[in-house]
Parts: sequence; structure tokens; C-alpha cells
Amino acid sequence: MDNPTLPIPISHISGRYLLFSIEAVTYLRREHNICGVLTGTLPQASQQNVFLGLPLQLMPEEARVLVDKGIACIIDEAKAQTSMISLMEEDRRRYKRELEAQGHHVTRLLADRKNKRKEEALKKIAENKAKKSAKADAESEAAASSAIPAEEESAIVDVFADDSASRSSTPTSAPQEILGVTPPTSYPPLPNPTTSSDLVLSKPEVPLSYPLFAHLHSRGYFLSPGLRFGCQYVAYPGDPLRFHSHFLVVSAEYDQQIDLMDIVNGGRLGTGVKKGFLLGGPQKSREEAEIERTESVVTYSIEWAGM
Amino acid sequence: MEVDQESLHASKAEATQVETDLSDETQDFRLLERLSLLTDTSSSSLPKRGEKDFEPNPTVYQADILAASRQAMHNALSHPRMHPPKTHALGFYAPDGPKPPPGVELDHRGHGVSSNCCVCVPNPKGVVFKTIGQGDRWNRIWLLPEEALYLLERGSLDIRWPSSADEHVAGGSDLESDLSIPMSLQAAYACFLGQSGLTLERYSVYSSLRRLGYAVVRASGWDDSPAARAPDRRVDGYTQPQLRGAGLAGMFSMLFNWMHDPKSTASTAAGPLVGTGIHRNYAHIYQKLAIIPWYDPTTVPDRDPLDTDAPFRVVFHIYKPSTAIKKSALPPPDYRIAVVNTREQTTLPTLSQLGALLESTPLDPPKGEKMDRILSLRLRQGYRNVILAVVDQGVASYLRISDVAFGKEKIYQNKGPPSGSKNQKNFKSKKR
Amino acid sequence: MSQPEWPSQAPSALSKLIHDAGASGNQPTATTIQVLHNLQHQHLWTSLQIHDISDKFKQYYGDVPTGELPIRSLISGLPPHRVYTHPDEQLYMLQNGIREDELRPERLFVLPTSQGITFSLRLYSMLWGDNLETVVEDGVITGPVVGEGKEKKLDEYYKKKVECLASKEWGSKRILLAMVNRGPGGDGTVVYYVIQEGEVKPRQN
Repeated sequence: MDNPTLPIPISHISGRYLLFSIEAVTYLRREHNICGVLTGTLPQASQQNVFLGLPLQLMPEEARVLVDKGIACIIDEAKAQTSMISLMEEDRRRYKRELEAQGHHVTRLLADRKNKRKEEALKKIAENKAKKSAKADAESEAAASSAIPAEEESAIVDVFADDSASRSSTPTSAPQEILGVTPPTSYPPLPNPTTSSDLVLSKPEVPLSYPLFAHLHSRGYFLSPGLRFGCQYVAYPGDPLRFHSHFLVVSAEYDQQIDLMDIVNGGRLGTGVKKGFLLGGPQKSREEAEIERTESVVTYSIEWAGM
Repeated sequence: MEVDQESLHASKAEATQVETDLSDETQDFRLLERLSLLTDTSSSSLPKRGEKDFEPNPTVYQADILAASRQAMHNALSHPRMHPPKTHALGFYAPDGPKPPPGVELDHRGHGVSSNCCVCVPNPKGVVFKTIGQGDRWNRIWLLPEEALYLLERGSLDIRWPSSADEHVAGGSDLESDLSIPMSLQAAYACFLGQSGLTLERYSVYSSLRRLGYAVVRASGWDDSPAARAPDRRVDGYTQPQLRGAGLAGMFSMLFNWMHDPKSTASTAAGPLVGTGIHRNYAHIYQKLAIIPWYDPTTVPDRDPLDTDAPFRVVFHIYKPSTAIKKSALPPPDYRIAVVNTREQTTLPTLSQLGALLESTPLDPPKGEKMDRILSLRLRQGYRNVILAVVDQGVASYLRISDVAFGKEKIYQNKGPPSGSKNQKNFKSKKR
Repeated sequence: MSQPEWPSQAPSALSKLIHDAGASGNQPTATTIQVLHNLQHQHLWTSLQIHDISDKFKQYYGDVPTGELPIRSLISGLPPHRVYTHPDEQLYMLQNGIREDELRPERLFVLPTSQGITFSLRLYSMLWGDNLETVVEDGVITGPVVGEGKEKKLDEYYKKKVECLASKEWGSKRILLAMVNRGPGGDGTVVYYVIQEGEVKPRQN
């Protein structure tokens, strides 16, 4: 997997921060512990809410951390996209040709993969029957099934990558039928927006809890929105794909008065789901710079004592 | 060390296999691969969540599983949106709203669709259009921003940018030479979000309910601009209700009336509550003791849906998949939903906000044999209800709020235990 | 702060205890005594002590008379069983076959509070400091590891414990927050929460 060109453009649309490039999503998760929340419909499984797809919504805190580190910048996406209307005729033709070629390519790959997998699945079922070993190890099975199509997968990924380097493939044969494709992003045909100053927006506005967010992120935690547990963030010690969360996080200013009952509520709720309740915040007041505030964060872990 | 830790947590992990909502946790996309491998229909039951670890450790085994999970996620998210010729539905983006086909003058009858529509589908095909979109006078279908975005996102609609003037809105042009180019998913979000009040939170609720098969349409509370909050507006044939709920002042006057009720000769404000008459059963006595006024949701007049406090107002009407609906004449919805963004609304609604929201929904009293029989079901159903969708940065939670009438349930008339079902056969339901 | 008139029945043993300590009508001290009483008789703690920390909180609450400080003392004592064991410490003990009841008791500090008091992060931070010595009482092993078998294992454990508390591998300085259920509807129940400085991963049981 190639790393995307930095800085990564984050689409600012109607006040929200969104990512549409799969390369950016994978890279930020792998290298920067940024998960966001997938909110879109998966075209291959569009009638369920368990697995969701692009776009990935970032909290303003996540976007801000990335901008502060120089990894990403914020793009006024509605403005950027208007250039699509004024695209030159020649560019339009080229873009359409490319999309069509990609469509055919992908269709072939998907068909191949499906057949291959079906065969393998059937073979596996037959083998299992023969052996009569009903209890297959779920983990190794899953690992195997995801490891097989590595070659073809990367081919698909390349075709839909949004860096223009991998778009060199030109149609070898004229397409037999017109096949429509809806691409995930508009780059290309649009040029990289991070270099045009009139599209790049200023740093995201963040809530008072940002210093605590940035503090935990800098210590390697993966953070998610806290709604499900009635807190501000949920902190994971590793990728939430594989690990349970450790903390229900609530932020407070240094002199903010906290009712003891809230500590009991948080501690009890956390213990009930085998998580700690983490209360923290910056010692520096809100007048100070975010970076100073982040460095001054103190945290306390609270658990029910069981007595 | 790793092995020991595994065994340490293994037994507890089993104990925590409680009923979990799968959409509540980050999913292992490897499961999706297996799912789509064996079945093409999504109707099959969902796989069990893969077991997660407590914390990272430096083993290759753990790193490999994580890498496999991430690869699976990457693959799933890379799946392209293809439009094979047979099912290819084309839409055209109309940034300036609905307009007649080229060469047709718009007369006084208008185009017959909402001015908020922004995508035109000249040749609608497929079942999705049964519950989505509005037909204009020229048999084209127009889509609202959330409808267009949802159809594009699920891969059911290829939406084209306008290129020059209006020619494409006509549709049916020779596609080979057509220079209209497809909108990307990104472009669709950039163009449709923010249009006519469509926030990402509203869209998330719309699309997640659509994915589950519900039909979702905008309600009259959709527009929360200041103009739409003017109290003297008439909407949907409702007139502005003249009366307000009983409120606290109302309660006092009820109490006052009771004390001066000329008919209640058996009791006086000065004497014993139950009075000195002959009482032949407990019910009669309890009736006398019931002096505290209670709130009766059935007596509260309906409220104009716009006479509510945003975001606590109904923005979507929801229809169950089993409800037959006709787009031109929608039946009353199965559910009403308000959408709240946690970053903009950080506190619980006040009682008056919540009261106004409930009063803006029609009476929906408990009915049916089962509810007549079982008290707890009646209480849960309530007399008015609404669903609050609370959205926190892409994570949604749905809460049902109902207006319960405890005062209507005369426990003393019931001889059996409150929730018992058999003993209540003789219980005559009160007239409402 | 004036206590309402007691009804005519005889005061409870606890009320009498508080009264006898001359703390009636003085909430913080009453709270301290009540928690102390609870630790002693319900949870069977021993070697209980009260530590006056009012000087510390005078800075926080400004110029208030000592009697009016919402928080002015800590309690410390020896619980009959471990109240808290860090997950990694638990793992170490499991691997080395060390049982809890083989270990020397640890002195634990308790902050007595009651419902209605508010807290702030600043107040918490002031608590941490010299007041908290959660290191094993009398158990600091500095010399070389001696002995055989179990003795050796225990010696190694104590040594490791000192290291891991310093490095925060086995959690950090900790305190028990005790809160008395008081006020309207309060029944005098005392609840206890473990508070530790920093991000300390949760126990799994």
C-alpha cells in the first residue's frame, strides 16, 4: 500500500469534515491512529447498517490534530467541486474514456475473483465434509480467505486510487458497451486542491475538550465519539477493529466544578462495561493557546472499588 | 505472557457474550468478506462479531490479524460503484432547482415538484423510485438532495454534472457523444449537503433508515429557518391551536374546581376526604381519595408542527417496509422522527420543548386486544409518541419518547397484580 | 450549617459516636467519622488513622475557617483484603504463583466526602503529592533478594512492586474516594471509588 501524498485534503462540507479517498482513510488509521466514523452506504451491501462505507466522518478534533501536525489540510469542497462544471471538452472526453476503461477492468476482476472464491469455497466445503472435522478454526479460516485474493485486490485498489500515478492504464480494446462508474472522488480530473490557497481553509474550530483529546491521541490512544457510552470520547489502546476500549473519557476545565455524583455515575457506568472512567483536562485556562493547554493536561482514572 | 493473558480473559470474554447490537461496535470487515462470499443476498443473518483483544501486545500473531482486518476493510471500502447497462439509471444535477424540459415554457401550473429538488431522472427505472422522488408534469422524476445522494451512494444512480445550458435535463440524448460527466461521491456530498436544510446528521438518519427498508419523507417541521417559526403560519391544513396544555396553572384551577364542585356532596374541603356516606366498595373510596389532578394527554389540543423548538421538531415521517404507500397521497406515517446533533444541542430538551414536540404529533392511544389486556404495554405505548435520533459525529442513537397517562390507569379497579394478564379479562376498558 | 432538631427517639449509635466526638453540626468531621466507622465496622479495616490536611485546602478554598472546609482530612488504614490490584500486577502474581493472602497488607488512603460537594481537577491535583504513600508499608525491599522458594518469590515481588509503582507500570498513586449518601432521601450508604493519577488501564474483573 502506497502512502498518499501529504498533506491529505480533508473535505469540509456543510460544516463537517469528511474523507472520500480510501488511501487516505487506510493511511491515517495505520500511521496516525485516526479512525473517524464510516457513515456511507457500501454499494456491495446496501441493505444493512452493520458495515458502512465511505465517506469517513472525522470529528473536528481529529481534523485539527492532523492539521496541527501538517499531515492534512482543510478544503472548501463545495467551492473546489464547482470547477467540474467548467471542465474543458477535451478533459471531459478523456475523463469519460478513463472511467469506462476502469469500469470494464473492474468488472472483469470482480467476476474472476467471484468465480475463484466460489470454487475455493466449494472445495473447502467438500474438504471439510470429507474430513468430517466440523469445528474449523474461525480465525485461521478468516485469515486464509482474506489472504487469497491479495494480487487482484491490489489491482482494484490501484485502479481506484486517487493519485494520478497509478492511472496510466489506457484502454487496450474498445469497450463493447457503455458502463457507468461513479468514482469516489473528483481528483482527478481536478488538480490537487491542497496547493491552491483559495480552497484551503483555516484550522478547524474545536470544543473545550480538545486538549484532552490531543493529549490522549499523542499517547497512542484511538478515540471515538462517546455517545454510545454517555461520555465525550471512548479511548482504545489500539485499533478499534481489534481491541476493546479502555476508557470512557470526560473533559473538564481545571477549575470547573464537578458534582461528585457525576464521578459516581461515570465510575459505575465504566465498571459496568469493564472500562475505566477517565476524567481530565488542561491546567491552563481557555485563554491560552491549544498547544500549551494540551501540554498541561492532567488525567485521573476512576473505577468502582467493589466494596 | 500472551498466552497467559489470553487464558486470563478467555472465560470472562464468554461471560460478556450478552446480546450486543452489532452496529454498536467497530466491525471486523473480514466478516463482510465471508458474508458476501457465500451469499449474494443480504437477507442472511449477520455473522457473529470476531473476538477482540484487551490490549495490543508485541506478537506477530496479533499484528497479522490486525493487518488482515485492515486489509479486509480496505477492500470492502474500495468496492466500486458500477452501473451495468441493463440497470443504468441516469440523473442530471440541476443546481438551480426544477425546470421544464428544453423548449417548454413554464406556465402558471408550475412543474409540480418541490422547489428543493435538484436532480432530474428523465427515465426512471427500478423499484427504488416507488418510494423516492416526485414526478413532474412531463413524467420525469425529481429528487430531493438526500434522495439523490442516497441513490448515488448505494450505486443505484449515475448522476451527471450539467455541462452547458439545459440540454441534458431533457435526457434521452445520444449518450455516446454526450459530454456530461459523472459526479463522484465526493462531489455529490459537496453539492447536496447544506442544500435546503440538509445537514449531515439528517442525511445519516435518512440513509440508515432507508438502508433498513423504511420509506422516509420530509415532514413539515423540516424547515427550521426563522421564517418557518412564525407562530401564525398555517401548515398542512392545520390551523394554529388556540388552546395550550393544562400546564401548572391549569392544574391549580382543576384543584380549585374540585374543591368547589357542588356535586361532590360526600366530601367537603373542611371535612374528611371520603365523607360520611355509606361506602360499599373500595373502588368508591379510592375514587374519593383521588384528589390530585393528573395530566391527561388526550385533552391537550394538537399543536402546529412548526410551533416547536428546533431541533426538537419532527423532520422525517417514517413508513415501515410493510406499509403500502403511494407517493402522491401519503398515508399517516408509522413513526415521526426528530434529529438532534450532539455538538449543537448538548443538553437534554426542556420539558416545554419535549411537550411541544409531543403535542405536535397526533394522538396515538394504545389499541388492540393485547394492549387492552396488559397494563405495561399500554403505559409503554403512551398517547403520543415521537422518536429522537441523537447523532454524535456520525454515531446515531434512537430514543422513543411517549406521553404516558398514568392517571388513566385506575389501579384500584383492578383486582389482580398490575401487569397480570389473566386477571384482567373482566376489567372493562374505560371509554376515552 | 445547623442540624435540624432530632426527633424524640434515641439517636443511632453512629449519631452518638459523631456527637461524642464533638463533631455534631460540623459536617466535614461528621463525614470523616462516619466513613471511618464504616471502614472499621463494615469493611473491617484496621490501623485506621485520620490525617489533617486542612492546610492544603485552605489555599484552595481561600480564607475560610478550618471548621467550614468541605474537605479537611484523609483517612488511612489497612484493608483485610486487597481493594485494588492492577491487571499487570495480577498477571505477575498469577505467573509466579503468588496468592493475595500471602502478601503483607497495604496502607490505603481514603478521602471522605459526602453527596453535594463539588470537585474540580485542581482540587484533585492538590490531593496528590506528599500525602499519598501507597508504597507497601514496611515492605520496601532495597537489599539483594534472599531466601528460597516462596520467600524468594515474595521478595522478588516486593522489589518488582517498588519498581513498577515508580514507573507506573502497575498503576500510579491511588486514593479511595468515599462518598456518603446524605441529604434528602440519603440513607448513609457509603460508596467507594478508586482514583488514580493518569491513564491506568481498567481491571477486567
